[in-house]
Amino acid sequence: MRIKATAIGTALAALAVLCAVFASSASAAPAWKFEAKSLEGSEVILGGALESSLTIPGLTTTCENFLYKLSIKNEAGTGKGEVTELPLYNCTTNTEACAVEKIGAEKLPWPSHLATVSSSPYIIIEGVRVGIVYSGEECAVGGILVAVTGSAGGLIDNTTETATFNNTTLAATGTALKALSGKAEWSGVFPTEAFQWHREQALSAS
Amino acid sequence: MQKHRARVVCSAMLLVALTALGLAGSAQAKLTGGYTKFANCPYTNAEVKKCLYSVTESGEVVLGSKKVPIEKPVTLQGGAGVFNEEEEFQKFYAATNGITLSKTPQNVPGGLLGIVPEASSPFLVKALIKFFLENSLTGVNSTLELAGSASDIRINEFALAAEEGIALKLPVKVHLENPFLGKNCYVGSSGSPITWNLTTGETSPPAPNTPISGAGGEGEFLESGRILQLKNNKLVDNAWSAPSPTGCGGILSFLVTPIIKAQLGTTTAGHNTAVLKGTVSTTTSAALIKNNKENP
Repeated sequence: MRIKATAIGTALAALAVLCAVFASSASAAPAWKFEAKSLEGSEVILGGALESSLTIPGLTTTCENFLYKLSIKNEAGTGKGEVTELPLYNCTTNTEACAVEKIGAEKLPWPSHLATVSSSPYIIIEGVRVGIVYSGEECAVGGILVAVTGSAGGLIDNTTETATFNNTTLAATGTALKALSGKAEWSGVFPTEAFQWHREQALSAS
Repeated sequence: MQKHRARVVCSAMLLVALTALGLAGSAQAKLTGGYTKFANCPYTNAEVKKCLYSVTESGEVVLGSKKVPIEKPVTLQGGAGVFNEEEEFQKFYAATNGITLSKTPQNVPGGLLGIVPEASSPFLVKALIKFFLENSLTGVNSTLELAGSASDIRINEFALAAEEGIALKLPVKVHLENPFLGKNCYVGSSGSPITWNLTTGETSPPAPNTPISGAGGEGEFLESGRILQLKNNKLVDNAWSAPSPTGCGGILSFLVTPIIKAQLGTTTAGHNTAVLKGTVSTTTSAALIKNNKENP
């Protein structure tokens, strides 16, 4: 009888430990911080990609000016936000046949949130939709609207204050972008710098 | 004077010969690399802007209560014109070799007895079936054929890539082939075709069918953006209707055709399905003309 009671006690203890582990994992969702203090209210992050390209197998589109505007806030201790603007200029492809006639972000704003994956902070952007119209008499998709859709997760580096998006970060966050029904690859490094109330303050996600 | 005239004639003949050689060389120009599959596209026709080469490798056609799996590749090839904003389609142009839609016989599961059951057939039909069974002539093929001309086909590249709307409007007829059925056993005809409104998106069929989804496939650019290949493309339609079969059984058509009609069951909209899975490749006429010029 005592043995049974001990076994039940052990099981309950194990369950409590497990619950504690999961609870700590769940509460580990990072928040936006300025100078190591949690952001109160909201802030606007504005910047341009240091480098950014989008690849549909066989065709890479690169934009010289890949700007973004992201409004951020914390909700219940978790960093949230939305991409409100994404102007793209001077875009070209890696082929002679296809030129970029039009490119633009559609259905803005795109919601975003912070998440922790393998102890690292990530920003996950959902509802991504970029429309590209290519031109060129020889281009196979000349005149056709190619929509890039899906969600994308980028790794936040608190030291360099950048968010990096690539195949590895998308895979780590279980996000994916699609174009022409297939997989599209997006790579880009975006500086994260406050533009409104916290100018020149160190931004981190933790 | 005569020597001079002879020299002029000789020069003219030489010029004609050289021109002929030049033309022959031009005619022998060949497409290379990934472009070879578009050899039968009428890309020299100024109205043709795009070329299509689509191979259906699997899928199925359900006609009433009969399902025919697609086990042998079926090819659709030809050219496409400019996008007509009003019709929301591009006009289609026939393949230069005359084979716009390849006539590929597919095996009908169950064979002859699957579509003409011996037990419930009239005496004469029963006797004939027995003969065909004894002579191992029971295999039945179903061949998809283009109903009407290639210009009746409509294509919408935008819908094909976007996974919404009708991507391919294909008028077809189904040819049921077996010596017992004769040479003219068809479901659908040029005058009364089965019209497939194929989509890579989701269908909205009448009951009892339920919506099914197609897929644009995995896009990949070849030849530096000049060819788009969509692998694992899936075109679907399950809202089409089919007319009654005609001309089955040769001189016994008046007996056999009603039996086949009964065996197919209801073929009104909502009872039929077409699922075509394969690879769709497209390119532009300009890319083909350039490739042709580069490879005299």
